[in-house]
Amino acid sequence: MTKRVFSLFAVLVFAVIFAGIVGGYSERRTLSPLAQHYLASVPQDLGAANIVTGILITYRGFDTLGEVAVLFMVAAGVGILLDGSPAPERQAREDRAPSELVENGARVILPIIFLFGAYVIMNGHLSAGGGFQGGAVVASGVMLLMLARPGAQLHHGFLSVTESLAGVVYVALGILGLWLADGFLDSHILPKGEFGTLVSAGAIPVISALLGIKVGAELSVVIDRFRR
Amino acid sequence: MQELAGSIVILVGAFFLFSAGLGLLRMPDVFTRIQAGTKASTLGNILVLAGLGIYHPDWALKLLIVAYFVLMTNPLSSHALSRAAHAIGTPMAETTVADALREADEAAEENRA
Repeated sequence: MTKRVFSLFAVLVFAVIFAGIVGGYSERRTLSPLAQHYLASVPQDLGAANIVTGILITYRGFDTLGEVAVLFMVAAGVGILLDGSPAPERQAREDRAPSELVENGARVILPIIFLFGAYVIMNGHLSAGGGFQGGAVVASGVMLLMLARPGAQLHHGFLSVTESLAGVVYVALGILGLWLADGFLDSHILPKGEFGTLVSAGAIPVISALLGIKVGAELSVVIDRFRR
Repeated sequence: MQELAGSIVILVGAFFLFSAGLGLLRMPDVFTRIQAGTKASTLGNILVLAGLGIYHPDWALKLLIVAYFVLMTNPLSSHALSRAAHAIGTPMAETTVADALREADEAAEENRA
């Protein structure tokens, strides 16, 4: 009884809060000066159709590098914590085979997932998406692969070499920006190209692809560590 | 007319999505909840996508791909989840009368032996 009263009370409190928010909401008719500045300068200056990716990869590229470093540390930390022999009771228990549905379904869906991941990575500068999102999509495909084929082994060495190489090239591109353009991670080191095409927006698609490779490989390794 | 038809189909889809949520709340155990959530939300999603397709006919191809993806993944993930729940022995509602998966597992076990 008290539990019900409490739930009802919580619902009422939330209703009052949300009613206040909804009632006080008025749609913005004009853009703020900052938003206007970015809306104008990203397509013009960087040649990227997707404003968010333009800001993320060029204007605050150093921050993005930091995010990648955070993800790298997470992967390393998970590796340290979970890298050991499997727990004894897990070892004793026989792994159940995946059901037929999951196995066959994965066969149909996996190519679509990987294709979609590559699409999201490559079109980061044109439409919603980018390296981080695409990498996460690819890693979710890897997770499905593990569910459908428990025996499949990920090659950790290959993945970590790929991921480190992507990171090294990313930083190298940043340093190239110091030399050829205006600063660290400036995307003007490559020609801007025609606005709205796949090969455009300077170095943004390249950096996006590197981010996608790095995030995809890292998250795949993290997922694989939790399996054992 | 087109807009009205699209809106009605979307509304019907929203009703099914609502009933999926209701099923999650009202059903007695994991398995009935999963099946309520899956069936109703698959149908609800597809109806919403179909309504959008009537609304914007030029999106039809993209929406068809999304619908295909929902049709492929939603039942599959629920199937995997409920199988995992069954494997770790999640209790069923007291009114459950049959457990076909356990019978099938036992039959497979006997065949192997």
